[in-house]
Amino acid sequence: MTAVTAQGAPARRPNYKRRRVWGEMAALALAVVLIIWTLAPLYNMVMVSLSSHADVFSSNIWPSDASAVSYWIVLSEGYWYLEYFWHQYANSIYIGFWTVFLTLGIGSMVSYSIGRMRIRHGWLLTNAALMTYLVPASFLAIPFYRIMQSYGLGNNVWSIIAVEVTFATPYAIFIFQQYGRSIPFELDEAARIDGASPIQVYFRIYLPLMAPALVAVGTYALLLAWNEYLYQFLLLSNKRSMTVPVALAQFLNSDESPWNYMMATAVVYAIPPVIIYYLFRGKMTAGLTMGGVKG
Amino acid sequence: MTIITRRSVLRNSLAVAAAGTLARPFIANAAASTATVWWTQGFVPEEDAAFRKMVEDYQKQSGNTIDYSLVPFAPLSQKIVSALTSGDVPDLISHDINDQIFVPQNAWDDKVIEVGDVVDTQKDQYSPSVYLATQYYNNATKKRGIYMIPFKTAVIPFHVWNSLVEKAGFKLADAPKTWDAFWDFFKPMQAKLRETTRNIYAMGLQCTTTGPADGNNMFAGFLIANGGNDIVTKDGKAHLDDPKIKEAVAKSLKYITDAYKGGYVPSGALSWNDADDNNAFHSKLFVMDFDGTISTEVALYHDKEQYDDIATLPLPNRNDGKPNAAQLGVGAAFIPKGAKNVEVAKDFMKYVIQPQVTNAFLKEGLGRWLPAVPSLVKSDPFWMADPHRKAYVTEGLLSETVPNWMVFNPGWAEVNAQQVWGAAEADIIRNGTAPEAAADAAFKKIDAILGKYPIVQS
Amino acid sequence: MASVSVIEAGRPVLGRRSRLRSLRGGLQGSEYAWAIAFCIPYIAVFLAFVVYPVLYGLWLGHKPALYLELVHDPIYQETVVNTILYLVIGVNVKMFFALLLSGFFMRKGWWVKGLLMIYVLPWAVPALPTFISIHWMLNTQWGLVNNALWDVFHVDGPGWLDTTRWLALGSVIVSYIWKNMPFWTVILLAGRMAIPTELYEAAEVDGATGIRRFVHVSMPLLANLYLVCTLLSTIFTLGDFNTAYFISGGGPALSTHVLATLGIRDAFEIARPELGVAAVLSALPLMIPLVITLMHKLRTSEVQL
Repeated sequence: MTAVTAQGAPARRPNYKRRRVWGEMAALALAVVLIIWTLAPLYNMVMVSLSSHADVFSSNIWPSDASAVSYWIVLSEGYWYLEYFWHQYANSIYIGFWTVFLTLGIGSMVSYSIGRMRIRHGWLLTNAALMTYLVPASFLAIPFYRIMQSYGLGNNVWSIIAVEVTFATPYAIFIFQQYGRSIPFELDEAARIDGASPIQVYFRIYLPLMAPALVAVGTYALLLAWNEYLYQFLLLSNKRSMTVPVALAQFLNSDESPWNYMMATAVVYAIPPVIIYYLFRGKMTAGLTMGGVKG
Repeated sequence: MTIITRRSVLRNSLAVAAAGTLARPFIANAAASTATVWWTQGFVPEEDAAFRKMVEDYQKQSGNTIDYSLVPFAPLSQKIVSALTSGDVPDLISHDINDQIFVPQNAWDDKVIEVGDVVDTQKDQYSPSVYLATQYYNNATKKRGIYMIPFKTAVIPFHVWNSLVEKAGFKLADAPKTWDAFWDFFKPMQAKLRETTRNIYAMGLQCTTTGPADGNNMFAGFLIANGGNDIVTKDGKAHLDDPKIKEAVAKSLKYITDAYKGGYVPSGALSWNDADDNNAFHSKLFVMDFDGTISTEVALYHDKEQYDDIATLPLPNRNDGKPNAAQLGVGAAFIPKGAKNVEVAKDFMKYVIQPQVTNAFLKEGLGRWLPAVPSLVKSDPFWMADPHRKAYVTEGLLSETVPNWMVFNPGWAEVNAQQVWGAAEADIIRNGTAPEAAADAAFKKIDAILGKYPIVQS
Repeated sequence: MASVSVIEAGRPVLGRRSRLRSLRGGLQGSEYAWAIAFCIPYIAVFLAFVVYPVLYGLWLGHKPALYLELVHDPIYQETVVNTILYLVIGVNVKMFFALLLSGFFMRKGWWVKGLLMIYVLPWAVPALPTFISIHWMLNTQWGLVNNALWDVFHVDGPGWLDTTRWLALGSVIVSYIWKNMPFWTVILLAGRMAIPTELYEAAEVDGATGIRRFVHVSMPLLANLYLVCTLLSTIFTLGDFNTAYFISGGGPALSTHVLATLGIRDAFEIARPELGVAAVLSALPLMIPLVITLMHKLRTSEVQL
């Protein structure tokens, strides 16, 4: 959609060029506003992480002696709240990975069954999935604590994976169903006629064609798990099973805390999702279409 | 024969899935001699190490196993509530605010096991306030019983930046000896200090509704100094009709809100949480802070210059000139009903509360918490060796103390949680309500809350 | 653009699909078993982690007395108003700007692409530290915002989170928009990109540019997507705990709680879990119509296809 777009045509009106210049100026001004709007809180995070401890609450807008020493403390687990930092980081990645994998697996299977195999009353399942959102996540905190104990998952990272998958799958089903409508049914039919079993169609045709939606939902699920705080806080307690957000919350519990270490931890924690978003952003935009555009 | 239910199948398959994919398998049901313990994570790493050592020593001596989790403050609160609600409980729970929230409420609901046999092993060692604070009213038996095993205590001292006082041209030795006059002493320093610094205030007065603890503690300090300690008496009755109490409340509200309206307190104080005033004090945003424990000082332990610059002061006299009494916070453990191994939990706590064992443990916490046993600070020179600790010990163990009001009536835990005083202060500050009217409104709320906790006289 | 070609490829077969379906008349034996098998993992998750906890939660909050207590609590009354304002203003302002900005990001040029990459950062960065960062920025005495106001204009900024309910609630809403707008912008951008370019070219030939093109071409095509997004976003936002909790913490004077944070406060700070559950459950009358509309929307759009 690069060469053929509308604005490519030569100027038809005399003032077209001037309007265009004004348009560019306005766009640039908007860009400046957007950059300030977006980056201010992130700038504040980085600034605190570069400050010395005494400087955190000073009235400066740039630290008087910026240094990366907080980052070194975090990376070398040099503060006692962070003594298992890498272990906790690994837990977060572990939870993120399994959340993505299970959300995509469970979501795509059920969407395939409902959307492609057209199982009878499949819409009931879709609606049931949406009903998950009837109850706000915070409502389920105590019930979840209880059921995790009875499932034998107390203080276990798998309890978090279960929670994240529970909340991510309805959205996955929603997107997969919408996106799946754009895949021609002939492909399935042709494969069936060639003798492919439903599971072969699922792996060889459905999943590859769904790739953009899988990437989009996968990123969504990862960010959900990465952003979530309440359940990780409630269900994990010892330092070795904790995740980074819970470790971050330790800083909030104390009467007195090295906020610069906390923000340095936060910045390090923020890096993976940012990288993943940038790696997949092309496919992602396509996958999020939701099939909402139609006449 | 095992009956296979859907739940057990689910549980097993989930457990298998978990064990198969996770490097650390889930710990199976504990053996008979194991007690599961939840303990608050320490303030400094040494405190956790001291706890681990205490557990090891106990395990060696007794042959029992203590399966413990050291949980940070806020998650521990959530876990306790969830556990007691759902019935899946550990064998022993120690939390710094057990005395303020969990034990009064749950003893009332008959969800806590009596531990008189444990507490009585040290009965003559505990100070009267501590012993009183082990007892709570049980609404099922309609009796007070011993439900909490104390091992540490805390009070609220004053923290002052000496250098700021001197920079303003004052001397701390000149500070008046009665409550309001003592606070007033710091007010004129603000104008002096503002000559050189833009943002500086006289006092960190936590007139907040966020808390959870600071706003209530600060107000209790004022109320007692104004002669209002009998707002709730030992029989669990509130005396809200007593004109003396009402006057004390109104006077306290008036002083606090006048200080705020007079600009002596940072405006953010209205929504401070418990850490905010500590942080602000450390960044020298104000000269003086009235805040629980000596954590303010201990946090700067490794910065000798700053550490020595802070002066820790015990309470001045009440406004009527009589000696003041600090409200005593009690750190303690309790055993929830439904605990699988009550005996080991009790045995462990009997070990912990032995004065020498507790002493070694608390000293590692740099004296942030005081012992529950006054004789210790007389026999061990550690407690008087440091000026901050000395002031703290003087206030908490060597002077008269009074228990928290929820010891007498569990409804008071809810009064605190509802931040009734913070709300009254906010009402005066933001809406211009008169202190007397705000006091009346607060009394109405308190009356409604305590109405849910009818205590029968025995 | 991948999405465009896929959708276009999909279009001609739509009519035939339903015909095929009616011809096939349902699944045969082994296929039916496969179809069921594919659903089982989700059904298991749904039963274990939705049905069971929800029933347990409903049981916890079943006593009518709890709701009476809530209704008479002035903090709860304020909370309900806050929640409605948070939803109505927060979601709609966010979606409206997301719609406008998605149009802006359709522009060509390397710098627009670069800007988009910066713009989505709030979504990609974890919530907890960024909200804490904003909380500090808004601190009256040492926050970045008031420091900057002082440095540039030499005026003392207001107490954003400390003084009035509306300023604090406004701060919560603005922070919410900051965090969530990028995600919905990306979704609407994807929607715009899926509009076939020929439609724009046709509009261009007819002389429609700028606003008129938006009103006559983009808006009708995006309307359904926009509505579905708004519904979903409202539902997500009602359960949002992080923003209010970390930005204002419910202050000043407990005046900026939303139902999600009030529920957690009642359950864990006041240690009355039933009351907390009841507070959150009281949002159901608002949630049920939203979810039903969403279901309806999805089913009718399925019929259209």
